[in-house]
Amino acid sequence: MTAPTRVETRTWTGQSYPRKEDRRLLTGRGRYVDDRGMIRQGYAHFVRSPYAHARIVSIDTSKAEAMDGVHCTLVGEEVKAQTEPLFQIAPEPGGRMQEYLMAVDKVRYQGEPVAVVLAESREIARDAADLVDVHYEPLPAVVDALAAQEPGAPILHDEVGTNVSWQGTYEYGDIDWAIEEADHVVKIDRLHFHRFSSTPIECFGVVVNWDPGTDTVEVISNNQMPLFGAMVIGPSMGVGIDRFDFTSQDIGGGFGIKINLYKQTGVLALLSKKAGRPVKWVETRTEHHLDGGHGNERWFVDIEVPVMADGTILGVKARAVDDAGAYLHYEPLGAVIWTQVLPGCYRMRHFQIDYSQSLTNKCPTVPNRGYSRMQHLWMLERIVDVVAHELGFDPVEIRKLNYVQPDDYPYETPNGCVYDSGNLPLSLDKALALIDYPTWRERQREAVGSGKRIGIGIGSTLDSGTNNFGQAQIVNKDLPFSGNGEAAICKLDLYGEVSVTIGTTPQGQSHETTAAQVVADILGVTPADVDVVPGFDQARNAYVGFSGTYASQFAVTGINAVIGAAEKLRAEMIELAAFALGAGQDEIELTGGNAQVIGDPERAIPFIGLANMVYTNNAILPTELAERITLNCRHTYVAPFDPPDVERKFGNLTLTYASQIHAAVVEIDEETGKVEILDYAAVDDCGNRINPQIVEGQVHGATAHGIAAALREELRYDQDGQLLNANFLYYHAPSAAEMPHIKTDHVESPSPFTGTGAKGMGEGGGGPLHTVCAAIQDALGSEEPIVADSFNPPERVFRLLRGEGLGEARGVEVVTKGAS
Amino acid sequence: MILAPVDYTRPGSVAEAIEALNSVPDARPLAGGQSLLNVLKMRAAPVDLLVDISRLDELRALEIDEDGNLIVGAGITYAELAEADILAEDPWGIAEVAANTVDPQVRHRGTVGGNVCHADPINNFPPLMVALGATMHIVGPDGSRSVPAEEFFEGFFTTAVGDGELLHHVTIPPPAPGSGVGYVDVEIAEAVARAVAVVRVEDDQIADARLVIGCLPVPARRPDIERALIGAPLVADAVATATEGAAEGLEPLTDADATAEYRKAIIPVVAKRAVLAAGKGGHDG
Amino acid sequence: MDRSDVQDVEFTLNGETIAATVPARRLLIHFLRDDLGFTGPKIGCDTGHCGACTVRYNGRTIKSCMMLAVQVDGATVETIESLADDGELNPLQQAFHEHHALQCGYCTAGMVMSATYLLERNPDPTAEEIREGLRGNLCRCTGYVNIVEAIAAAAGKETTQ
Repeated sequence: MTAPTRVETRTWTGQSYPRKEDRRLLTGRGRYVDDRGMIRQGYAHFVRSPYAHARIVSIDTSKAEAMDGVHCTLVGEEVKAQTEPLFQIAPEPGGRMQEYLMAVDKVRYQGEPVAVVLAESREIARDAADLVDVHYEPLPAVVDALAAQEPGAPILHDEVGTNVSWQGTYEYGDIDWAIEEADHVVKIDRLHFHRFSSTPIECFGVVVNWDPGTDTVEVISNNQMPLFGAMVIGPSMGVGIDRFDFTSQDIGGGFGIKINLYKQTGVLALLSKKAGRPVKWVETRTEHHLDGGHGNERWFVDIEVPVMADGTILGVKARAVDDAGAYLHYEPLGAVIWTQVLPGCYRMRHFQIDYSQSLTNKCPTVPNRGYSRMQHLWMLERIVDVVAHELGFDPVEIRKLNYVQPDDYPYETPNGCVYDSGNLPLSLDKALALIDYPTWRERQREAVGSGKRIGIGIGSTLDSGTNNFGQAQIVNKDLPFSGNGEAAICKLDLYGEVSVTIGTTPQGQSHETTAAQVVADILGVTPADVDVVPGFDQARNAYVGFSGTYASQFAVTGINAVIGAAEKLRAEMIELAAFALGAGQDEIELTGGNAQVIGDPERAIPFIGLANMVYTNNAILPTELAERITLNCRHTYVAPFDPPDVERKFGNLTLTYASQIHAAVVEIDEETGKVEILDYAAVDDCGNRINPQIVEGQVHGATAHGIAAALREELRYDQDGQLLNANFLYYHAPSAAEMPHIKTDHVESPSPFTGTGAKGMGEGGGGPLHTVCAAIQDALGSEEPIVADSFNPPERVFRLLRGEGLGEARGVEVVTKGAS
Repeated sequence: MILAPVDYTRPGSVAEAIEALNSVPDARPLAGGQSLLNVLKMRAAPVDLLVDISRLDELRALEIDEDGNLIVGAGITYAELAEADILAEDPWGIAEVAANTVDPQVRHRGTVGGNVCHADPINNFPPLMVALGATMHIVGPDGSRSVPAEEFFEGFFTTAVGDGELLHHVTIPPPAPGSGVGYVDVEIAEAVARAVAVVRVEDDQIADARLVIGCLPVPARRPDIERALIGAPLVADAVATATEGAAEGLEPLTDADATAEYRKAIIPVVAKRAVLAAGKGGHDG
Repeated sequence: MDRSDVQDVEFTLNGETIAATVPARRLLIHFLRDDLGFTGPKIGCDTGHCGACTVRYNGRTIKSCMMLAVQVDGATVETIESLADDGELNPLQQAFHEHHALQCGYCTAGMVMSATYLLERNPDPTAEEIREGLRGNLCRCTGYVNIVEAIAAAAGKETTQ
């Protein structure tokens, strides 16, 4: 068989083709999990701990079970009796954690489930849950990641014996030499990246049936990485992956948060098994904020930055302490994921980062949009910004001086990652042009003394995509994970219909459209002719262990899987057509829904004719063809990775690096600390864009998330571990009236590593957090403390203006060598 | 999210509503529901009987009487106030406050009565009612009575309306000719500080002033500040000096959005801005 | 006085007359979705902030999670399903489609109801007026930029953002 050739036609790829998903979603005909159900289903409601840390002394479900309409209940002891502890990513000591699908003898965060009730209706389930009698013995709680590592801190998991779930030092180059060599050392006392979440509007939901006849577990849910969930709960429940059938159609936003519903899924499956009927569960917003999953909070302390006289920044020495919450789930993968962007956008070569992670009595973290890299990139951008501020460098010039330059690509970072392509200086120039930077500098000068300060900030960030899961071995050398990939099937159906399924679970990323565009180009049809089957069905779609929609990788992994499958199909179709038309394969083209001899439309066969030969008329085919050609082509895209060098913590950890450069203008009301955004621009570079309008939409969304997180969204616990922002009453997701317009522009630096030149994108890299902090910093003078927190509500800015910062004094100290 | 079991009745008159509210303990009037539904969803208070008063025309007066008093029935929605023809000229500033309440959907259901009777410190009408010198008219099993706005708000979620009573309407006297109303917030998503001022200026000097600080369990009238404002020129420095002590003796809340300390620090700021806005005849700072 | 934990209601829903008996405690959103099968309006929160449940009640937009089912008696209610006739998108929906004003689609039903109401009341809105009109509808995917553009386009104008 002729090897598939890369197809060059780009009639559809690269166009802003309007979405195929829209019709059903605009008319109220989407099918999200709460729109669906199973016959005879019961409704589940969880009983949850009101305490952040407590022993469970006893649980009495008898009154709940006695209520009319209640089917049954399930408690942690029952779960423990039927299951094994969950697989842990962490090595010892974190890996010793004995975590079951539901709390057994202890609760470790407010809202942790301790029991579940199944009843005939939502109302009865909710009422009966109040009758479950749980006796707790409250324990002291620890809610601060730094305090959690102090001797005497309450230990969350006795079998782990410490609250430090992971610790490691990342060391590259020679930071001590750099500090010695530098003309200035800028010392920053501490920086704090706050806890928040993307809060998709749709909360978690599961409809599950443990079918007693076949012992299969059918799950309708909005899990955005269902196979990861299956790989965790399957071994725990003694259910083979092949006995799960995870399905979803429409998902109302994920942003990484919907990776985290597998524990609930497992509990509900056991409940279904016990009850002998399907179970439906949809959580409330309050439950989601308590129990769904939060983004990582991270401290950076004792930061030292060596800087040369001309502004060249040599590297960073720092201690990073990440807050994982009460359980590890996807952690401590985050402990290495940030190293994908170790130097950020910059050519720094010397690093020593002592990274540790704490367990605390708070909701477990989950890979929230920008996972683990955003926190590190924010720190780096604060450093560059503070260095400029303290040493009197122009913020634009210092970035251009230190940026990876266009000629440097492919650029190997100090830890062996390879930045594929980009043009950061051009991106920065475009961002500044969008806001008309010189005019704002003038207006800034004019505003002095008016009671309103104007600040202009730049945020440089990377959106790394298609990660090498081998980096998990740096965290735990015994993990059998490496590489990355995605699978797709492209087939002709019985009447020649083009049908595609992918292992992905989109939550708004428009896969039905972009996949149709690339297939249309390969098969010579229009995207309207390509049916990318909505939704994910484990029984129908191709998938691998990495399958799902997360981590800014679909444009590479998913699209390349689809391209590979479509090219295989194309090759088969051409071979069949050559046979049918009595021509050479190199004389055949696919065009307008037919396979035809090039230049001779009379000699053509429509797709239905090709399908007919294989599916219903195969006696006319030579045996060799009939046995080999299926018109049902599966392809697994395998990202070109090697396992990393675990000892040196070195290797290529990510295939693509999209970038975003943002610029913002803020106005600060000196009397109140209130920050208004007057102008905002984001310039993205994700290589060749398959659908520019869709890419721009992702940039808008990521930017909005970042702006809101910077100014109004925080998930904060009080000292007793009570969540203060447990729903939208106190967690201030913004409306359109509270958000600025976002100007955008783009650069296209094709990736040399992906075939299409496209890069994954979507998470965004948290650009606005860096940018808004820089803008506020720009409005502060040399007497005021540095902006050291990623979250800047009015009160914090008010205090900064009055000399009160995060830690000691201004939070920064500059040590300058003698003349050099 | 799921309500506890509750009974429902829809009386055909205010008299029937009063009877229903007094028939059992834990009976609550249901008007627009934009506050009560959240209380019910959170199961934050025991409610045995919902008495639906949302369609009672008796509670829906909206007129200016012959003395120029604005009469607003407790059942009038924010949207109705914002769109009212009789408020095309609005010396009370009330239509604009109504038009900026929360969001369109809430404005289509939420009522003036609900806003003042729920008495959440962040609610926007209580300090306005006090600043305008409104009178609140209450009906109950023993008849009707009137309570000045300044005595109506008693504490967190507590007003002079007792169990089994209903707010019937509010009467707001016309501000003195030449007065302006200033209404100023600092907000994140909700207000963290608020001041309402009614000011009359003569020859560029403040001749009369009423100042009320909101975002408190009880809206706080500031007569001492008002006295300091009389005679002050309507310029930022002079007004700032007069309003410097606007937070004295007040105990704002600490919550997830802001500390009491911060709120106290910016109360003089919103007070100053409200006075300046009022003096310039506008409604918003 | 007539009190009960269930009530009979009769009302018009998307042009059809519906008679039903509902528990007093049932929210309108649950009645529409679970009992009557109109799953277009969505549930996204539990405090009446997100607006995904927005429907029209006697012509006005309301959050159907902030109303009891019993309160629809005698009223006219319209959900997203009442808009597109015979499956064709109306001009506002078409504008959302052309301007990529939806991604996951979960907020879309409520957003389109609010946008429809906004344009009926103000056929020539500025970008600021559009944003104010959408204050009761949260979206986490789009950042609102394309939603504002779509509504402006449906109003027959270039965006003024």
